[in-house]
Amino acid sequence: MPDTAKPIPNSLVVLREEFDDWAILFDSATGNAFGLNPVGVFVWKCLDGNRTIKEIVNELRENCEGVPEEAEGHLREFIQDLVEQGLAGYETQKD
Amino acid sequence: MPEDNKNHKYHLNQLYFYLTEGCNLRCRHCWIMPKYQADGHTYPLLHLDLFRSIIEQAKSLGLSGVKLTGGEPLLHPQIHEILELIRVEDLRLTVETNGVLCTLDLAQKIAACKNTFVSVSLDGADAETHEWVRGVPGCFKAALEGIRNLVEAGFRPQVIMALMRRNKGQVEAVVRLAERLGAGSVKFNIVQPTARGERMHESGETLTIEELAELGRWIETTLSASTTLRIVYDHPLAFRPLGKMFGDSGDGCELCGIVGILGVLANGSYALCGIGEIVPDLVFGHAQKDRLKDVWFKTPVLLEVREGLPHRLEGICNNCLMKGLCLGSCIAQNYYSGKKIWAPFWYCEEAYNQGLFPETRIRPNI
Repeated sequence: MPDTAKPIPNSLVVLREEFDDWAILFDSATGNAFGLNPVGVFVWKCLDGNRTIKEIVNELRENCEGVPEEAEGHLREFIQDLVEQGLAGYETQKD
Repeated sequence: MPEDNKNHKYHLNQLYFYLTEGCNLRCRHCWIMPKYQADGHTYPLLHLDLFRSIIEQAKSLGLSGVKLTGGEPLLHPQIHEILELIRVEDLRLTVETNGVLCTLDLAQKIAACKNTFVSVSLDGADAETHEWVRGVPGCFKAALEGIRNLVEAGFRPQVIMALMRRNKGQVEAVVRLAERLGAGSVKFNIVQPTARGERMHESGETLTIEELAELGRWIETTLSASTTLRIVYDHPLAFRPLGKMFGDSGDGCELCGIVGILGVLANGSYALCGIGEIVPDLVFGHAQKDRLKDVWFKTPVLLEVREGLPHRLEGICNNCLMKGLCLGSCIAQNYYSGKKIWAPFWYCEEAYNQGLFPETRIRPNI
Protein backbone atom coordinates (compact mmCIF):
# COMPACT_ATOMS: atom_id res chain seq x y z
CA MET A 1 0.00 0.00 0.00
CA PRO A 2 1.46 3.44 -0.91
CA ASP A 3 2.50 5.82 1.87
CA THR A 4 -0.33 8.16 0.87
CA ALA A 5 -3.01 5.49 1.56
CA LYS A 6 -5.39 6.39 4.37
CA PRO A 7 -6.99 3.51 6.24
CA ILE A 8 -10.67 3.58 7.19
CA PRO A 9 -12.72 1.31 9.44
CA ASN A 10 -15.31 -1.12 8.15
CA SER A 11 -18.60 0.59 8.92
CA LEU A 12 -20.09 -2.69 10.13
CA VAL A 13 -17.53 -2.94 12.93
CA VAL A 14 -18.47 -1.67 16.36
CA LEU A 15 -15.95 -0.52 18.98
CA ARG A 16 -17.00 -1.39 22.58
CA GLU A 17 -14.79 0.55 24.99
CA GLU A 18 -14.27 -0.74 28.53
CA PHE A 19 -13.37 0.78 31.88
CA ASP A 20 -9.65 0.03 31.62
CA ASP A 21 -9.19 1.61 28.15
CA TRP A 22 -9.17 -1.75 26.43
CA ALA A 23 -11.97 -2.41 23.95
CA ILE A 24 -13.64 -5.07 21.85
CA LEU A 25 -14.09 -4.77 18.11
CA PHE A 26 -17.22 -6.56 17.03
CA ASP A 27 -17.71 -7.39 13.38
CA SER A 28 -21.46 -7.58 12.93
CA ALA A 29 -21.07 -9.21 9.51
CA THR A 30 -19.20 -12.24 10.81
CA GLY A 31 -20.03 -12.21 14.52
CA ASN A 32 -16.32 -12.22 15.33
CA ALA A 33 -14.94 -10.21 18.24
CA PHE A 34 -11.38 -8.99 18.79
CA GLY A 35 -9.71 -7.46 21.82
CA LEU A 36 -7.80 -4.18 21.47
CA ASN A 37 -5.31 -2.81 23.96
CA PRO A 38 -5.32 0.93 24.74
CA VAL A 39 -2.83 1.72 21.97
CA GLY A 40 -4.91 -0.30 19.54
CA VAL A 41 -7.97 1.68 20.59
CA PHE A 42 -6.10 4.95 19.99
CA VAL A 43 -5.05 3.79 16.54
CA TRP A 44 -8.55 2.56 15.70
CA LYS A 45 -9.93 6.01 16.44
CA CYS A 46 -7.39 7.50 14.06
CA LEU A 47 -8.67 5.39 11.16
CA ASP A 48 -10.89 8.10 9.79
CA GLY A 49 -9.76 8.12 6.17
CA ASN A 50 -7.95 11.42 6.68
CA ARG A 51 -4.62 10.17 8.04
CA THR A 52 -1.82 8.14 6.51
CA ILE A 53 -0.01 5.57 8.62
CA LYS A 54 2.90 8.00 9.07
CA GLU A 55 0.48 10.63 10.33
CA ILE A 56 -1.06 8.16 12.77
CA VAL A 57 2.42 7.33 14.11
CA ASN A 58 3.02 11.05 14.61
CA GLU A 59 -0.28 11.31 16.51
CA LEU A 60 0.84 8.41 18.68
CA ARG A 61 4.16 10.07 19.45
CA GLU A 62 2.40 13.30 20.40
CA ASN A 63 -0.06 11.57 22.71
CA CYS A 64 1.79 8.60 24.18
CA GLU A 65 5.05 8.22 26.07
CA GLY A 66 7.78 5.75 25.18
CA VAL A 67 6.72 5.10 21.58
CA PRO A 68 9.56 2.95 20.18
CA GLU A 69 11.53 3.66 17.03
CA GLU A 70 10.02 0.67 15.29
CA ALA A 71 6.44 1.82 15.97
CA GLU A 72 5.70 2.54 12.32
CA GLY A 73 6.52 -1.03 11.34
CA HIS A 74 4.33 -2.39 14.15
CA LEU A 75 1.52 -0.09 13.11
CA ARG A 76 1.72 -1.22 9.49
CA GLU A 77 1.50 -4.85 10.65
CA PHE A 78 -1.42 -4.06 12.93
CA ILE A 79 -3.37 -2.28 10.22
CA GLN A 80 -2.58 -5.05 7.76
CA ASP A 81 -4.05 -7.50 10.30
CA LEU A 82 -7.17 -5.36 10.54
CA VAL A 83 -7.46 -5.32 6.75
CA GLU A 84 -6.99 -9.07 6.48
CA GLN A 85 -9.66 -9.63 9.12
CA GLY A 86 -12.03 -7.39 7.17
CA LEU A 87 -12.16 -4.84 9.97
CA ALA A 88 -10.58 -1.99 8.02
CA GLY A 89 -9.67 -1.03 4.45
CA TYR A 90 -8.45 1.89 2.39
CA GLU A 91 -10.43 4.63 0.75
CA THR A 92 -10.64 4.00 -2.99
CA GLN A 93 -9.11 6.90 -4.93
CA LYS A 94 -11.32 8.35 -7.66
CA ASP A 95 -9.58 9.11 -10.96
CA MET B 1 -22.01 -44.76 15.35
CA PRO B 2 -20.91 -42.50 12.49
CA GLU B 3 -17.23 -41.73 12.04
CA ASP B 4 -16.57 -38.44 10.38
CA ASN B 5 -13.19 -37.89 8.71
CA LYS B 6 -13.12 -34.18 9.51
CA ASN B 7 -13.52 -35.18 13.13
CA HIS B 8 -10.01 -36.64 13.00
CA LYS B 9 -8.53 -33.16 13.16
CA TYR B 10 -9.35 -33.19 16.87
CA HIS B 11 -6.37 -34.39 18.85
CA LEU B 12 -6.83 -35.94 22.24
CA ASN B 13 -4.46 -33.50 23.91
CA GLN B 14 -5.08 -34.34 27.52
CA LEU B 15 -6.67 -37.06 29.62
CA TYR B 16 -8.19 -36.20 32.98
CA PHE B 17 -7.78 -39.17 35.28
CA TYR B 18 -10.15 -39.29 38.23
CA LEU B 19 -8.00 -41.91 39.90
CA THR B 20 -10.02 -42.68 43.01
CA GLU B 21 -13.72 -42.94 43.71
CA GLY B 22 -12.98 -42.27 47.36
CA CYS B 23 -11.46 -39.22 48.94
CA ASN B 24 -9.73 -38.61 52.26
CA LEU B 25 -11.66 -35.36 52.73
CA ARG B 26 -15.38 -34.54 52.77
CA CYS B 27 -15.55 -31.16 51.09
CA ARG B 28 -18.95 -29.58 51.39
CA HIS B 29 -18.79 -27.98 47.93
CA CYS B 30 -17.40 -30.89 45.90
CA TRP B 31 -18.91 -31.17 42.43
CA ILE B 32 -18.07 -34.88 42.10
CA MET B 33 -19.18 -36.14 45.50
CA PRO B 34 -16.61 -38.89 46.12
CA LYS B 35 -17.15 -41.28 48.97
CA TYR B 36 -15.28 -40.50 52.17
CA GLN B 37 -12.43 -42.95 52.53
CA ALA B 38 -11.20 -43.17 56.09
CA ASP B 39 -9.01 -45.91 57.52
CA GLY B 40 -10.30 -49.35 56.74
CA HIS B 41 -12.51 -48.35 53.82
CA THR B 42 -11.58 -48.57 50.18
CA TYR B 43 -13.48 -47.64 47.05
CA PRO B 44 -12.80 -48.35 43.38
CA LEU B 45 -9.49 -47.15 41.98
CA LEU B 46 -8.27 -46.98 38.43
CA HIS B 47 -6.23 -50.13 37.91
CA LEU B 48 -2.61 -49.55 36.93
CA ASP B 49 -2.82 -51.90 33.92
CA LEU B 50 -5.84 -50.02 32.64
CA PHE B 51 -4.06 -46.71 33.15
CA ARG B 52 -1.11 -48.01 31.14
CA SER B 53 -3.34 -49.32 28.34
CA ILE B 54 -5.22 -46.02 28.07
CA ILE B 55 -1.98 -44.04 27.86
CA GLU B 56 -0.65 -46.34 25.16
CA GLN B 57 -3.78 -45.92 23.07
CA ALA B 58 -3.98 -42.19 23.67
CA LYS B 59 -0.46 -41.40 22.49
CA SER B 60 -1.37 -42.26 18.92
CA LEU B 61 -4.33 -39.88 19.20
CA GLY B 62 -2.10 -36.94 20.09
CA LEU B 63 -1.84 -37.17 23.86
CA SER B 64 0.67 -34.73 25.28
CA GLY B 65 -0.42 -34.38 28.89
CA VAL B 66 -2.45 -35.86 31.72
CA LYS B 67 -4.19 -34.44 34.72
CA LEU B 68 -4.38 -36.52 37.90
CA THR B 69 -7.31 -35.64 40.07
CA GLY B 70 -9.91 -37.43 42.09
CA GLY B 71 -11.33 -38.02 44.55
CA GLU B 72 -7.79 -37.53 45.69
CA PRO B 73 -5.10 -38.73 43.29
CA LEU B 74 -2.42 -39.17 45.94
CA LEU B 75 -4.71 -41.64 47.72
CA HIS B 76 -4.16 -44.16 44.93
CA PRO B 77 -1.97 -46.97 46.36
CA GLN B 78 0.02 -47.18 43.12
CA ILE B 79 0.53 -43.46 42.67
CA HIS B 80 4.32 -43.94 42.52
CA GLU B 81 3.99 -46.36 39.62
CA ILE B 82 1.52 -44.05 37.86
CA LEU B 83 3.91 -41.10 38.20
CA GLU B 84 6.80 -43.22 36.94
CA LEU B 85 4.79 -44.21 33.87
CA ILE B 86 3.99 -40.55 33.17
CA ARG B 87 7.66 -39.65 33.50
CA VAL B 88 8.79 -42.44 31.19
CA GLU B 89 6.15 -41.48 28.61
CA ASP B 90 7.37 -37.85 28.79
CA LEU B 91 3.87 -36.47 29.31
CA ARG B 92 3.09 -33.07 30.77
CA LEU B 93 1.57 -33.52 34.20
CA THR B 94 -1.04 -31.59 36.11
CA VAL B 95 -1.93 -32.67 39.65
CA GLU B 96 -4.94 -31.43 41.58
CA THR B 97 -4.62 -32.45 45.20
CA ASN B 98 -5.75 -31.49 48.67
CA GLY B 99 -2.12 -31.81 49.71
CA VAL B 100 -2.79 -33.90 52.79
CA LEU B 101 -0.92 -36.97 51.53
CA CYS B 102 1.84 -35.13 49.73
CA THR B 103 5.02 -36.35 51.39
CA LEU B 104 8.42 -35.03 50.35
CA ASP B 105 9.11 -38.33 48.63
CA LEU B 106 5.94 -38.05 46.58
CA ALA B 107 6.57 -34.38 45.81
CA GLN B 108 10.00 -35.30 44.43
CA LYS B 109 8.45 -38.06 42.35
CA ILE B 110 5.98 -35.56 40.90
CA ALA B 111 8.84 -33.11 40.26
CA ALA B 112 10.63 -35.71 38.15
CA CYS B 113 7.87 -35.50 35.54
CA LYS B 114 7.85 -33.06 32.63
CA ASN B 115 6.45 -29.51 32.91
CA THR B 116 4.47 -30.36 35.99
CA PHE B 117 1.83 -28.06 37.41
CA VAL B 118 0.47 -28.77 40.89
CA SER B 119 -2.45 -27.11 42.64
CA VAL B 120 -3.39 -27.56 46.27
CA SER B 121 -6.74 -26.62 47.78
CA LEU B 122 -6.70 -24.22 50.70
CA ASP B 123 -10.11 -22.84 51.59
CA GLY B 124 -9.12 -20.75 54.56
CA ALA B 125 -6.14 -19.13 56.23
CA ASP B 126 -6.78 -20.98 59.49
CA ALA B 127 -7.62 -24.53 60.49
CA GLU B 128 -11.13 -23.72 61.66
CA THR B 129 -12.24 -22.29 58.33
CA HIS B 130 -10.40 -24.72 56.07
CA GLU B 131 -11.61 -27.73 58.01
CA TRP B 132 -15.19 -26.42 58.08
CA VAL B 133 -15.05 -26.57 54.30
CA ARG B 134 -13.06 -29.79 54.02
CA GLY B 135 -14.82 -31.76 56.75
CA VAL B 136 -11.87 -33.53 58.36
CA PRO B 137 -9.97 -32.39 61.48
CA GLY B 138 -6.25 -31.96 61.02
CA CYS B 139 -6.39 -31.50 57.26
CA PHE B 140 -5.29 -27.84 57.40
CA LYS B 141 -1.96 -28.59 59.02
CA ALA B 142 -1.47 -31.56 56.69
CA ALA B 143 -2.25 -29.45 53.61
CA LEU B 144 0.31 -26.83 54.66
CA GLU B 145 2.87 -29.57 55.15
CA GLY B 146 2.06 -30.90 51.68
CA ILE B 147 2.60 -27.46 50.17
CA ARG B 148 5.90 -27.10 52.00
CA ASN B 149 7.00 -30.47 50.64
CA LEU B 150 6.13 -29.38 47.12
CA VAL B 151 8.10 -26.17 47.58
CA GLU B 152 11.06 -28.14 48.92
CA ALA B 153 10.86 -30.35 45.84
CA GLY B 154 11.23 -27.27 43.67
CA PHE B 155 7.62 -26.37 42.87
CA ARG B 156 5.82 -23.10 43.30
CA PRO B 157 2.38 -24.71 43.55
CA GLN B 158 -0.90 -22.98 42.93
CA VAL B 159 -3.17 -22.51 45.92
CA ILE B 160 -6.84 -22.85 45.05
CA MET B 161 -9.51 -21.37 47.27
CA ALA B 162 -13.22 -22.03 46.71
CA LEU B 163 -15.18 -18.92 47.64
CA MET B 164 -18.20 -19.15 49.90
CA ARG B 165 -19.96 -17.05 52.48
CA ARG B 166 -18.03 -18.60 55.36
CA ASN B 167 -14.54 -17.83 53.99
CA LYS B 168 -14.95 -14.72 51.86
CA GLY B 169 -13.37 -12.62 54.60
CA GLN B 170 -10.16 -14.65 54.32
CA VAL B 171 -9.33 -13.97 50.71
CA GLU B 172 -6.44 -11.63 51.43
CA ALA B 173 -5.21 -13.77 54.33
CA VAL B 174 -5.01 -16.79 52.02
CA VAL B 175 -2.90 -14.78 49.56
CA ARG B 176 -0.54 -13.75 52.36
CA LEU B 177 -0.36 -17.35 53.58
CA ALA B 178 0.39 -18.50 50.03
CA GLU B 179 3.20 -15.93 49.83
CA ARG B 180 4.73 -17.22 53.06
CA LEU B 181 4.45 -20.83 51.95
CA GLY B 182 6.24 -20.17 48.65
CA ALA B 183 3.29 -20.73 46.32
CA GLY B 184 3.46 -19.38 42.78
CA SER B 185 -0.15 -18.37 42.30
CA VAL B 186 -3.54 -18.27 43.93
CA LYS B 187 -6.72 -19.15 42.09
CA PHE B 188 -10.15 -18.28 43.44
CA ASN B 189 -12.87 -20.66 42.33
CA ILE B 190 -16.59 -20.07 42.37
CA VAL B 191 -18.60 -22.91 43.89
CA GLN B 192 -20.56 -24.48 41.06
CA PRO B 193 -24.16 -25.56 41.67
CA THR B 194 -23.34 -29.21 41.07
CA ALA B 195 -23.75 -32.10 43.51
CA ARG B 196 -22.72 -30.89 47.00
CA GLY B 197 -22.15 -27.41 45.60
CA GLU B 198 -25.77 -27.34 44.52
CA ARG B 199 -26.84 -27.94 48.11
CA MET B 200 -24.65 -25.06 49.25
CA HIS B 201 -26.31 -22.80 46.70
CA GLU B 202 -29.75 -23.90 47.88
CA SER B 203 -28.91 -23.25 51.52
CA GLY B 204 -27.47 -19.78 50.88
CA GLU B 205 -23.91 -20.75 51.83
CA THR B 206 -22.52 -19.50 48.54
CA LEU B 207 -22.10 -15.90 47.43
CA THR B 208 -24.59 -14.14 45.20
CA ILE B 209 -23.66 -13.12 41.66
CA GLU B 210 -23.53 -9.50 42.78
CA GLU B 211 -21.17 -10.36 45.63
CA LEU B 212 -18.99 -12.48 43.37
CA ALA B 213 -18.79 -9.78 40.71
CA GLU B 214 -17.82 -7.18 43.30
CA LEU B 215 -15.30 -9.49 44.95
CA GLY B 216 -13.86 -10.31 41.53
CA ARG B 217 -13.30 -6.65 40.72
CA TRP B 218 -11.49 -6.12 44.01
CA ILE B 219 -9.37 -9.25 43.63
CA GLU B 220 -8.43 -8.50 40.02
CA THR B 221 -7.51 -4.89 40.66
CA THR B 222 -6.61 -4.06 44.28
CA LEU B 223 -5.55 -7.42 45.68
CA SER B 224 -3.61 -8.62 42.64
CA ALA B 225 -1.69 -5.31 42.62
CA SER B 226 -0.58 -5.94 46.20
CA THR B 227 1.25 -9.21 45.59
CA THR B 228 3.87 -10.66 43.29
CA LEU B 229 1.88 -13.89 43.10
CA ARG B 230 -0.16 -14.51 39.99
CA ILE B 231 -3.80 -14.13 40.96
CA VAL B 232 -6.59 -15.81 39.02
CA TYR B 233 -10.23 -15.13 39.72
CA ASP B 234 -12.08 -17.86 37.94
CA HIS B 235 -15.24 -16.16 36.84
CA PRO B 236 -16.39 -16.40 33.23
CA LEU B 237 -14.36 -14.55 30.61
CA ALA B 238 -17.16 -12.05 30.03
CA PHE B 239 -16.42 -10.67 33.50
CA ARG B 240 -12.65 -10.55 33.17
CA PRO B 241 -10.88 -7.36 32.11
CA LEU B 242 -9.20 -7.83 28.71
CA GLY B 243 -5.96 -6.48 30.14
CA LYS B 244 -5.96 -9.26 32.74
CA MET B 245 -6.14 -11.85 29.99
CA PHE B 246 -4.09 -10.39 27.15
CA GLY B 247 -1.95 -7.58 28.57
CA ASP B 248 1.81 -7.75 29.11
CA SER B 249 1.17 -9.02 32.62
CA GLY B 250 -1.95 -10.92 31.59
CA ASP B 251 -2.56 -14.43 32.82
CA GLY B 252 -4.30 -15.94 29.82
CA CYS B 253 -7.83 -17.17 29.48
CA GLU B 254 -7.70 -20.38 31.52
CA LEU B 255 -9.81 -21.97 28.83
CA CYS B 256 -11.41 -25.34 29.19
CA GLY B 257 -9.93 -27.45 26.41
CA ILE B 258 -13.18 -29.33 26.00
CA VAL B 259 -12.57 -30.31 22.39
CA GLY B 260 -9.21 -31.85 23.24
CA ILE B 261 -9.79 -33.63 26.53
CA LEU B 262 -11.46 -36.76 27.78
CA GLY B 263 -12.13 -37.94 31.31
CA VAL B 264 -11.29 -41.37 32.70
CA LEU B 265 -13.18 -42.30 35.83
CA ALA B 266 -11.86 -44.47 38.65
CA ASN B 267 -13.92 -47.44 37.51
CA GLY B 268 -12.35 -47.28 34.03
CA SER B 269 -15.24 -45.51 32.29
CA TYR B 270 -14.62 -42.78 29.75
CA ALA B 271 -16.57 -39.58 30.31
CA LEU B 272 -16.75 -35.93 29.26
CA CYS B 273 -14.84 -35.22 32.49
CA GLY B 274 -15.46 -35.93 36.18
CA ILE B 275 -19.09 -35.01 35.64
CA GLY B 276 -19.50 -38.64 34.53
CA GLU B 277 -19.32 -39.61 38.22
CA ILE B 278 -22.75 -38.06 38.77
CA VAL B 279 -24.29 -37.75 35.27
CA PRO B 280 -24.46 -41.16 33.54
CA ASP B 281 -25.47 -39.51 30.22
CA LEU B 282 -21.94 -38.17 29.96
CA VAL B 283 -20.22 -41.56 30.31
CA PHE B 284 -19.07 -42.86 26.92
CA GLY B 285 -17.85 -46.39 27.35
CA HIS B 286 -15.36 -48.39 29.35
CA ALA B 287 -11.64 -48.84 28.90
CA GLN B 288 -11.88 -52.62 29.35
CA LYS B 289 -14.21 -53.15 26.42
CA ASP B 290 -14.09 -50.08 24.20
CA ARG B 291 -11.17 -48.88 22.10
CA LEU B 292 -10.19 -45.34 23.04
CA LYS B 293 -9.98 -44.41 19.36
CA ASP B 294 -13.61 -45.40 18.86
CA VAL B 295 -14.74 -43.49 21.92
CA TRP B 296 -12.81 -40.39 20.86
CA PHE B 297 -13.95 -40.36 17.24
CA LYS B 298 -17.43 -41.89 17.38
CA THR B 299 -19.13 -40.79 20.59
CA PRO B 300 -22.18 -38.73 19.51
CA VAL B 301 -21.92 -36.24 22.38
CA LEU B 302 -18.26 -35.51 21.63
CA LEU B 303 -19.04 -35.10 17.91
CA GLU B 304 -21.89 -32.77 18.75
CA VAL B 305 -19.73 -30.66 21.05
CA ARG B 306 -17.01 -30.31 18.41
CA GLU B 307 -19.48 -29.43 15.68
CA GLY B 308 -21.58 -27.07 17.74
CA LEU B 309 -19.18 -24.98 19.80
CA PRO B 310 -19.60 -22.07 20.11
CA HIS B 311 -22.39 -21.23 17.66
CA ARG B 312 -25.03 -23.55 19.15
CA LEU B 313 -24.72 -22.16 22.66
CA GLU B 314 -28.01 -20.77 23.92
CA GLY B 315 -29.18 -17.95 26.16
CA ILE B 316 -26.74 -15.22 27.06
CA CYS B 317 -23.86 -17.44 25.90
CA ASN B 318 -25.16 -17.12 22.36
CA ASN B 319 -25.07 -13.34 22.57
CA CYS B 320 -21.76 -13.04 24.38
CA LEU B 321 -18.82 -11.53 22.51
CA MET B 322 -16.46 -13.85 24.38
CA LYS B 323 -18.14 -17.07 23.31
CA GLY B 324 -15.43 -17.95 20.80
CA LEU B 325 -12.92 -18.08 23.63
CA CYS B 326 -15.11 -19.02 26.55
CA LEU B 327 -16.99 -21.85 24.78
CA GLY B 328 -19.81 -21.69 27.31
CA SER B 329 -17.42 -21.76 30.28
CA CYS B 330 -18.21 -25.35 31.34
CA ILE B 331 -20.25 -27.68 29.16
CA ALA B 332 -20.41 -30.26 31.96
CA GLN B 333 -21.89 -27.74 34.37
CA ASN B 334 -24.29 -26.48 31.69
CA TYR B 335 -25.54 -30.00 31.06
CA TYR B 336 -25.99 -30.59 34.76
CA SER B 337 -27.91 -27.35 35.25
CA GLY B 338 -29.82 -27.16 31.97
CA LYS B 339 -30.12 -30.85 31.00
CA LYS B 340 -28.69 -30.15 27.56
CA ILE B 341 -25.26 -29.54 26.09
CA TRP B 342 -26.09 -26.09 24.76
CA ALA B 343 -27.62 -24.63 27.90
CA PRO B 344 -26.03 -21.33 28.93
CA PHE B 345 -23.63 -21.10 31.83
CA TRP B 346 -25.65 -20.53 35.00
CA TYR B 347 -23.51 -17.66 36.31
CA CYS B 348 -23.75 -15.64 33.12
CA GLU B 349 -27.44 -16.33 32.67
CA GLU B 350 -28.21 -15.26 36.22
CA ALA B 351 -26.02 -12.19 35.90
CA TYR B 352 -27.77 -11.23 32.67
CA ASN B 353 -31.21 -11.67 34.21
CA GLN B 354 -30.18 -9.49 37.13
CA GLY B 355 -28.71 -6.77 34.90
CA LEU B 356 -25.18 -7.58 36.06
CA PHE B 357 -23.74 -8.93 32.80
CA PRO B 358 -21.14 -6.51 31.35
CA GLU B 359 -22.86 -4.48 28.62
CA THR B 360 -19.74 -4.28 26.47
CA ARG B 361 -19.57 -8.06 26.22
CA ILE B 362 -23.07 -8.49 24.80
CA ARG B 363 -23.54 -8.64 21.05
CA PRO B 364 -24.75 -5.20 19.98
CA ASN B 365 -28.03 -4.83 18.13
CA ILE B 366 -27.18 -3.28 14.80
